Amino acid sequence: MTMPVTQCLIKLHEAHHQLEDYQGGVPRWCSGCGDNAILTAVQRLCRDEDLAPERTVFVSGIGCSSRFPHYMKTYGFHGIHGRAFPIAQGVKMARPDLAVFVNTGDGDCCSIGAAHWIHAIRYNMNLTVILHDNQVYGLTKKQASPTSPIGMKSNTTPRGSYLEAMNPLTVTLGVTNVSFVAQAVDWIPELLYDIIRKAYLHRGFSFVRIIQRCPEWLPKQFEPWLHDPGKTLLLTHRDGLAISPELARTYRNQIEHDPLDMNRAREIASATDPIPVGILYRNPSVPCYEDLHGVGEVRTAEQVRAGLEAEFDKVTVWPQDDGARAAA
Amino acid sequence: MDTVARFDEQRLFFSTGRRHGEGLDAVDGLGLRPALLAGYRDLARLRYDYPVVLVGTGRDAGEVRALSSVIDDVLREVAPRGLEGEKLRKHVLRLEREIRALTASGARRTLAELWGEAAQRLASPRDPSAQEVLAGIGDKLDLDGWVADCDAGMPADVVTHLWQAAQKRKAKAFRRLVDRLVVRLSDILRAAFIQSAVGRQPETLRATLGGSYKDAFDFGAMSKLLTRNVPHDELPPARRQRIEWALQVLQTQPFYVDEHLAGRPGVPEQLAFRFTDCASAAEACRARLPKLAEVVKAIAIAELEADGRYADAKHDPFFAHFDESALTPEDVVLFPDYLVCIPAGENDAPRNAGLMDILSAGLPVKVLVETTDLVEEASAGAGHFPFGVRAARLANTATGLGGVYVVQTAASNLYAMRERVAKAFAHHGAGLFSVYVGTGAEGALPTYLAAAAAMESRAFPAFAYDPHAGATQAARFALEDNPQPEADWPVEPLEYADEALQRVRQEMPFTIADFMLCDRRYASHFARIPRERWNDAMVPADEWLALDAKRAGDKVPYVLAVDGEDVLQRVIADSRLMQTVVRYRTFWHRLQEQGGIHNSHAEILLAREKAKWEEARAKEREEPAPGSAPAAAAAPATAPAAGKAAEPPAPEPAEPQRNPDEAWIETSRCPSCNECQNINDRMFKYNENKQAYIADVNAGTYRQLVEAAEICQVAIIHPGKPRNPNEPGLAELVERAKAFL
Repeated sequence: MTMPVTQCLIKLHEAHHQLEDYQGGVPRWCSGCGDNAILTAVQRLCRDEDLAPERTVFVSGIGCSSRFPHYMKTYGFHGIHGRAFPIAQGVKMARPDLAVFVNTGDGDCCSIGAAHWIHAIRYNMNLTVILHDNQVYGLTKKQASPTSPIGMKSNTTPRGSYLEAMNPLTVTLGVTNVSFVAQAVDWIPELLYDIIRKAYLHRGFSFVRIIQRCPEWLPKQFEPWLHDPGKTLLLTHRDGLAISPELARTYRNQIEHDPLDMNRAREIASATDPIPVGILYRNPSVPCYEDLHGVGEVRTAEQVRAGLEAEFDKVTVWPQDDGARAAA
Repeated sequence: MDTVARFDEQRLFFSTGRRHGEGLDAVDGLGLRPALLAGYRDLARLRYDYPVVLVGTGRDAGEVRALSSVIDDVLREVAPRGLEGEKLRKHVLRLEREIRALTASGARRTLAELWGEAAQRLASPRDPSAQEVLAGIGDKLDLDGWVADCDAGMPADVVTHLWQAAQKRKAKAFRRLVDRLVVRLSDILRAAFIQSAVGRQPETLRATLGGSYKDAFDFGAMSKLLTRNVPHDELPPARRQRIEWALQVLQTQPFYVDEHLAGRPGVPEQLAFRFTDCASAAEACRARLPKLAEVVKAIAIAELEADGRYADAKHDPFFAHFDESALTPEDVVLFPDYLVCIPAGENDAPRNAGLMDILSAGLPVKVLVETTDLVEEASAGAGHFPFGVRAARLANTATGLGGVYVVQTAASNLYAMRERVAKAFAHHGAGLFSVYVGTGAEGALPTYLAAAAAMESRAFPAFAYDPHAGATQAARFALEDNPQPEADWPVEPLEYADEALQRVRQEMPFTIADFMLCDRRYASHFARIPRERWNDAMVPADEWLALDAKRAGDKVPYVLAVDGEDVLQRVIADSRLMQTVVRYRTFWHRLQEQGGIHNSHAEILLAREKAKWEEARAKEREEPAPGSAPAAAAAPATAPAAGKAAEPPAPEPAEPQRNPDEAWIETSRCPSCNECQNINDRMFKYNENKQAYIADVNAGTYRQLVEAAEICQVAIIHPGKPRNPNEPGLAELVERAKAFL
């Protein structure tokens, strides 16, 4: 089997990367923060998929999790509150050849950025989205976020929050053109990595909600789930997660779920206890926006000039025409 | 004359090909045709694959559609169920017949034109609305293109149409690639210019601003501001030269010229890739190879530059010696295919003598060869064979060249094999389309019938060979486009009225003898036997072929034919013709073997294995009587006859045995939160996946182990027992550690 000259040359001088090649600054997250586990999983993914750092971009909004791009030795864009999605979409439109990740928190995505979130799902551009959901505004020192459970006391809800929490999974599954939805928890690193990898490999808008601990402001929030494996429900399927025997021995609460079954996915997504972990929905046949819009519409400067001239010619009145008409 | 005398005359004819006596009539001039073709006198009244529409615009552009399928689509749209729909349906089907008749008479027009003309011809005073209605339906056609009937010119039209569609797709992909690279390279040069000293001069900055606001800016001050403290970042001369060279090559390549820019100064002329002889195509292909290599080199350099991967030290030596010898098939597939449509009478022209050479050279050339003459006797008479090989064997010979995509078919079947032809243009090497188009002689059958007869009779079987379809011959070779490919001859039902006017149905094979009866050149090999001289020694040709030599000597083969009045006739064939039939049947058998049908190797192997199996069964039967058999041997007989024995459940992996006195971490569950490392980063380290393990238990105290276990959010650190009995506060620490043992 042969390959084109360019591929041959690229293959010949291919660089392989180590985990350290993706490690940027030392994380400033609080000690024990679940963001660390996500950072490690993503760095492992970059290494294992051999993503070229100069062709990889992490885009974030505002919040603890949105410091993520600082800790990746790749391109990054620490954006403004709630605007990670449009920035990432712009990057992808301009450079579809780049691997684009979005790191967003529950406040950044589900509150101020909710409008962008909904439409980003609908556009189904090829982005890997990681929602770091610790159910609290941590950077601003404990205010209730849209995903805070009812009754949670915080600086903005001293008597406990009044509203039922928003479920980012059911919201995402309800939007037209949704193509990939998964849920992970930061305290099972093996599955966290596998789910993020599956999300990256899916072509389309891959949405991964990661339930993560905030040891600083909600240290007890997930203790029951942390210490009782029975409260975690693993979703298995023949082309789903790779669950090791060791993990299967600990997490025995498993059900088989076909990721193409949207109705079942919505049912499972609605459950909060036990926490479902795995791929809820995956449909590779949903078209990506970049495949529908402007496909192959590259225009060189000469083509643009020729096109403009042709258009101008339609309405141009040439002086000699006037002269000829006058003479006539 | 008695029966024996009649048979002797027939035997004599069979042996010598000479007619003696009154009981043998010459067939020339009798207008005979094989009985199975009796129902196909007026093709215009039949709905079949032809004519075809070479769709040029609208839905399915680039495809080849049968007129009948286009009409069916129209009927589905416009003719609702019920009386009104039925009326419309009749109108449209009459119009289809008119179009068929028009094309059969040689009309060469588009579907829209033919539709209009046919509608006009159907106008009648009795039904004045018909023309209007049909014209209205014609306006709703969502496709248009040239209509081609099954004649000698049709294969070239169809192949060229499919080739053009493939080239359009290739052109689109190529232009997308080249335009993308041109934009990327131009961007690099533009960015370099903007950052250069010249790019920041006041005049340059002024030129970048359009409109009437130029006076509002102080470009001198702007220039100073932009040049101050800015690092010198000029493009290295070698890189600039390389990018400019690649850009120039891509912008002036003549393989796929941008149709919007064609004719402008500096834009090269589009090269031609369609030829009518092999020599011209080969010369053009070879002459253009250096230019093609140059474009491939420019693409490779541009790709590397656009990705920022070009490294002078690594890539310069490679590109310094880059020429056509470095091209890979994947590079060449980007460029246009050369198409050679050899006119039917030009097969043995000297400029086509190199056909086998260009096919075997792996050049991206696709050649259409139209064959008009199949039976070898005629070729031998001409003194030489086209392309150095008999026409009927050409395609099969080409499959042996390696890497050549081959399609052989009769013209009548070309529509059915259009996807295989289209697929050939995705194949990056050479290709051969060998198509039988009938003799075209005066008084011969129409092309469609002659071609169909050639294929049905196995004189010119259809097959396709795709060298890249898979690793096995079974994947590469396809014979299924033939009717009843597993049989020697296809068998079709023939219905007729006998002398008592009773309906008779008979299964009739269609042999090469039937096919040769259609060709006047072989008339001397046949003799019609008047009905009163029919006898039991006359047997159908296929049955005669199945006889052994001794019995065959007592019989004479005949073919069932019909005359112009559709009266059944028996026509006996001579031995020379039957030898040809045998030769072609042998050739068909070879093709069948290639296609996996009656494969002799497989059959021998199967027979051998079957014999072994039977031998084993016989031995089993000879074993001692039941009851004396050992228990172990009897055991399988009691097992369920069908289905697999239930497999024992896979044992759950056992947990590794650990010494509870030793400290350890469940590394695979570590969420990398740094808590333990913050306590002692020599004792706790990360592995290659950045998950913690105990690197050196002696690098810290037992207290640190216990504290790490307590602070670990996921409780995966197990401190074990103290190693230093003198460590202070041990009793309390051991108590705290109990929760993590």
